[in-house]
Amino acid sequence: MLKLENICKYYNPGTINEMCLFEDYNLSVERGEFVSIVGSNGSGKTSMLNIICGSIPIDSGRILIEDKDITKTPEFKRAEYIGRVFQNPALGTCPDMTILENMAIADTKGKSFNLKKGTDKKRIDHYRELLLGLGLGLENKLEVKVGSLSGGQRQAMALLMSTMTPIDFLILDEHTAALDPKTADTIMQLTDKIVKEKKLTALMVTHNLRYAVEYGTRLIMMHEGRNVIDLKGDEKERLKVEDILLKFNEISIECGN
Amino acid sequence: MKKNELMKRAALFTAMAMLTAGLTACGSGAESTESVSDTADTTVAEAAAEETETSGASEESTVSGDFTIGIGQFAEHGSLDNCREGFLQGLSEEGIVEGENLEVTYNNANADGSIASQINQSYVGSGVDLICAIATPMAQSAYAATKNTDIPVIYTAVTDPVAAELADAEGTPVGNITGTSDKLPVEEQLKMVREILPEAKKLGIMYTTSEVNSESSVAEYKELASDYGFEIVESGISTSADIPLAADTLLNDVDCVTMITDNTVVASLPVILSKAAAKNIPVFGSEIEQVKKGCLAAMGLDYVELGKQTGHMAAKVLKGEAEASDMSFELIAGASFYGNTKVAADLGIELPASLTDSAAEMFDTVEE
Amino acid sequence: MNTIILGIFEEGLIYAIMSLGVYITYKILDFPDLSVDGTYPLGAAVTAALIAAGANPLVAFPMAFIAGVLAGTVTGVIHVKLKVRDLLSGIIVSLGLYSVNLRVAGTANVSIFSKDSIFNNPIVNAVFPEGIKSLATVIILFVIVIVCKVLLDLYLNTRSGYLLRAAGSNDRLVTALAKDKGTVKILGLAIANGFAALAGGIMCQKQGFFDVNMGTGTVVIGLANVIIGTRIFKNVSFVKATTAVIIGSIIYKACVAIAINCGLNPGDLKLITAVLFLGILVISNMKKERHKKNAQA
Repeated sequence: MLKLENICKYYNPGTINEMCLFEDYNLSVERGEFVSIVGSNGSGKTSMLNIICGSIPIDSGRILIEDKDITKTPEFKRAEYIGRVFQNPALGTCPDMTILENMAIADTKGKSFNLKKGTDKKRIDHYRELLLGLGLGLENKLEVKVGSLSGGQRQAMALLMSTMTPIDFLILDEHTAALDPKTADTIMQLTDKIVKEKKLTALMVTHNLRYAVEYGTRLIMMHEGRNVIDLKGDEKERLKVEDILLKFNEISIECGN
Repeated sequence: MKKNELMKRAALFTAMAMLTAGLTACGSGAESTESVSDTADTTVAEAAAEETETSGASEESTVSGDFTIGIGQFAEHGSLDNCREGFLQGLSEEGIVEGENLEVTYNNANADGSIASQINQSYVGSGVDLICAIATPMAQSAYAATKNTDIPVIYTAVTDPVAAELADAEGTPVGNITGTSDKLPVEEQLKMVREILPEAKKLGIMYTTSEVNSESSVAEYKELASDYGFEIVESGISTSADIPLAADTLLNDVDCVTMITDNTVVASLPVILSKAAAKNIPVFGSEIEQVKKGCLAAMGLDYVELGKQTGHMAAKVLKGEAEASDMSFELIAGASFYGNTKVAADLGIELPASLTDSAAEMFDTVEE
Repeated sequence: MNTIILGIFEEGLIYAIMSLGVYITYKILDFPDLSVDGTYPLGAAVTAALIAAGANPLVAFPMAFIAGVLAGTVTGVIHVKLKVRDLLSGIIVSLGLYSVNLRVAGTANVSIFSKDSIFNNPIVNAVFPEGIKSLATVIILFVIVIVCKVLLDLYLNTRSGYLLRAAGSNDRLVTALAKDKGTVKILGLAIANGFAALAGGIMCQKQGFFDVNMGTGTVVIGLANVIIGTRIFKNVSFVKATTAVIIGSIIYKACVAIAINCGLNPGDLKLITAVLFLGILVISNMKKERHKKNAQA
């Protein structure tokens, strides 16, 4: 499904601050996998997501989706089949537009942004139903501007909006990190529900080891641009938080932290 | 939180209030402006008095009646200021004297078209008896503002009223608007340059491409130059920042330079004069002020005279002797010679007696 | 007195059309677009050239708008494709337009007093008797402004309009919707400058002449109008932002008229505008910071 082949990425090439992030990095994700990715800061998790989405260019290597080379495809074109939710809830919604308008604009993805009415009245009931599924009471606040919602509510909206139209991939970039623990739990359960319902292939970067262990079908731990743990199936099922914590500490000691 | 919001609102309103206060303050400032114009007026009156003395005319009696006029000047500029001064002199010669039977409101648009339009609307709104518009854009804007009223407009310093569509090809006004043109006496100027410099071939002119008056002047120079054996070298600039380089290029290529009434170029006259002096190239002026400042000579307009002539026209309209719509626009009657002997001596040129004898005024210093 | 009020409305309404454009760039796209200083007179130049050549004054409307759209597209392409900073792209375009305007109009000042305009033609003269002619101009302008406002409101509620609004408030969302945010920006700049040029064209028809310097300071007036309007009606939910901008535009011109009638030297006006401008901006910044704090809390 998704393949990263021989990815090389340097930051600040040719300067004294040159830093190698990935050297010959490979990753292959099967259809329907829900991959949790953990790792310390600077291990390359978010950079990998950015490389998949096309937010940052790579120095060499190939990115394939269903054997199609998308290495040169611009970010916005890749968004046709990739949905993404960011750590910052503000990035996934449009704060100056109402909930209804946000739902409508997300619903238009993949269609032509022409001079037809922005909000199709016939779809409002459908939007209401989707919002009802969030259980946050947003279905009664359709005319409220998203900017005035709480971070959790916005993140729920963002999740809903990024998965509203058919996509192959869902990229979750520490999407619960900015939320309080209770809201984070809600959003995480919601994510799991959506991924399962829509049978999405998902990549989730998280610092919450419990989420990484509890959710998903595969777990990767990254360190210095390499996968140091990559478990799936039964091995993943048996994995406990303590196990990865142990590995984490090992790595930290190696680094002298 | 609520309180905070209130404070911000209050702050916004304070800002608005400050603006209003500022405006009211300028209301009281209006008095001081008036007093300034009063003092300016006394100098005008004195100048007028001098004028009457020299011309030996008898003292005029004021005309009965109270008049209110609005003077709108497009930009701050020596020649235009002279026009305004002359205009008030012209009126007072006809017995309409500011402070006695005439109330004058003066505004300067500082070359901003949208302000010009609002100034004229404000005059129309306050119901003045006449609007005096100085310079082309002001005249056009005054005409647009008064179109649906019966307020007459008298303009001055409009080089080409026909091109500005303020008069038709015969000189008949298009509406209740007339005035005077400050069209340059190009032919006289060319004749004078030929007389002073019998050998000169290339005559340089610098002008701003955005000034419509300058364009028509340059066109006229080009048309007439060959009759006097000149070849015109033109140099178009777009801002005053272009002048030093443009002047260097132009001065490399010409025998002499003549100024036209181009606002931007005239404002940078000292730059051109010093560069020309370094190359010993004579620069001719287009009006008296430029000769004072160091141009060799000019067959030029005296804007005070032009203003006076305009004032006389305005007086006729105010007194009800004529309708502005019936009066053709006027050109200044004849150009006069102005020379600067100091500049001539510096350049090693002798101004021919045929010119100096009939000079309107000669200068022997250069005004800094 | 009445004439002054009518004058305020005439000027205010014309500048309102331009301000609707500035509203798109400044408020919706968050793009400080200085090309307006060039596109406003561009519309006037196109109008003057067309009418002087004998074209129908109504034809001048779409032509002025199109000219503005083209110029706005150039600003957008310079910014988006050539990666020049927003302020600089506007400066470059308005600078270049100065020469273009001179070329289009032929000379620096073109009079069209003698020609028909939308404000002065046999039909208008027949409909409005001599006595209320001055009212006619305001009525015509009012109709034009309302049409522009309604069209813009309608547009902002289309799919394309939604995308434009999203581009200004969160351009990552545009990318997420699989659309190129650069193209959306170019579109916004094109429409905005179309409005500015339309306003210039209408001003040219109203005042009866084009002058190459008539654009100086347009963008400042536009920004002032937008900021005054949207700040005053910030919490009045039933007033749409576009309406607020139009009212702001009239308020601004009213302030200028009051200032002139008070005998204020118009030369000082710009300083007062600048101070007022700064004041309003500082207050809105204070407000924004508070919003931020709320969001973090």
